[in-house]
Amino acid sequence: MAASPVVFQRTHHLDLLWTFVRTDFKTRYHGTIGGFLWALVKPFAMFVVLLWVFSFLFDADGQYRLRLIIGLFLFDFFAESTKAGITSLHAKGYLVSKARFPSWIAVVSSLANAVITLGIFVVAITVFRTATAGAAPAVSLALFLFYLLMFLLIVTGFSLAASVVFLRYRDLNQVWEVVVQAGFFVAPVVYPLDIIPERYHAFLYAWPPTAVIEFSRSVLIAEAIPSGRAHLLLAVEALAALALGIAVFRRYAPTAAERL
Amino acid sequence: MAVVEARDLVKRFRVPAVRRDTVREHALDLFRRRPAETFTVLDGISFAVQCGETIGIMGRNGSGKSTLLKILSGIYQPDRGQVITRAPLTPILELGVGWNPELDAVDNVCLLGVVMGMSLAEVRAATDDILAFAALERFANMKLRHFSSGMAARLAYSVAFTAVRDVLVLDEVFAVGDAGFKARCEQRYRDLRAAGHTVILVSHDPRIISTYCPRALLLENGRVVADGPGADVASTYLAMLT
Repeated sequence: MAASPVVFQRTHHLDLLWTFVRTDFKTRYHGTIGGFLWALVKPFAMFVVLLWVFSFLFDADGQYRLRLIIGLFLFDFFAESTKAGITSLHAKGYLVSKARFPSWIAVVSSLANAVITLGIFVVAITVFRTATAGAAPAVSLALFLFYLLMFLLIVTGFSLAASVVFLRYRDLNQVWEVVVQAGFFVAPVVYPLDIIPERYHAFLYAWPPTAVIEFSRSVLIAEAIPSGRAHLLLAVEALAALALGIAVFRRYAPTAAERL
Repeated sequence: MAVVEARDLVKRFRVPAVRRDTVREHALDLFRRRPAETFTVLDGISFAVQCGETIGIMGRNGSGKSTLLKILSGIYQPDRGQVITRAPLTPILELGVGWNPELDAVDNVCLLGVVMGMSLAEVRAATDDILAFAALERFANMKLRHFSSGMAARLAYSVAFTAVRDVLVLDEVFAVGDAGFKARCEQRYRDLRAAGHTVILVSHDPRIISTYCPRALLLENGRVVADGPGADVASTYLAMLT
């Protein structure tokens, strides 16, 4: 065991997080038209395109197209953030093997791009909902944000655990891509949950995106609030995922530099 | 008071005959034996470094010097034993390869400075001095992938010398750069010593160890085989090589 005094203060954690996010964005969007702006425009453009496609091309009814867009964006957030999280520690290997710093910040910062995309989606969906069906009740918006927070905790927990496991299993990202592709059809993104017999719903809800997508649709479109028990289960699932992720990370992160 | 204490450090690396790094490889070879060889890189290393002391570490390639520095810096974990550090420690290990090649010099200075424990405000305030120390002011906005390895290493050491907290851990620092840069490094190093910093210095160069280290350790096969004045240890090291 190496015992060491604290070198990094809390303010340094924020500096480190900001520096990782900033440099990752610079690397990712360097040379693109608009640079940083592209990160903001991309999700908005995706929203408009999806809206147009489902409004005019497929002539979908208002509720279905909104349900679809919510499902697609939320699942896209899950897929993008977990994929980035898996390889996050390896991507910062050139620092992990040379210096001592709180490496969990490298994992958390890798989620920034997906979080920004999600943030823009939240703004776009709120504006669209207000323009087409009137402003959503404050409680609906608050619950929607709560679901997103729980989603973020789940993704963070997964990313922390997967980032250290990836150093032992270097094809984990490819395996996860297959899981995510299959998972797209497990979550009720393109189909309504009602078409699946109710006795199977518990299995579908075990897949994290299902609950977040269904609950979000419920409060934003139907303005129906899921039961207190459903909320409690989601919160327990999120906290358990985060706790498990932290435990796995704390167990394996100290030897991460030896695996790089 | 000792600011760094190494107590009975043991580090082994298990090297399998066939590496298995993927889910697929593990699944296919689930029931196959996996022969591996274990190398003991550090075998019961103990020493203490007092506050303000400069200690040199010498040894042949493969003697365990770099592994020891990584364990002291908290980058590797020992299999047995303990490292106790009572002051913040800044390691400068194999730098120059720890850059993001797609970022320019200023952004890389920011990245490495913050990783080494500086605040963003401190890095920004020191950026001009860092570039000047490395004599790279003209290349501030050039991407690192266009830098020569010597330029990148100069920049790395310049950041690290600025980021120093209490204890400085150096790995072959004086092997980098041209004569002018080496002279600036040596002067900076003397300034840090004069300011009371504790220094742990690895070098193959007997002149460096004799000149700068009142005390030195000599490692051989993961053990400390000599612990004494720098000049004596440097002579023992030279005798070992011949």
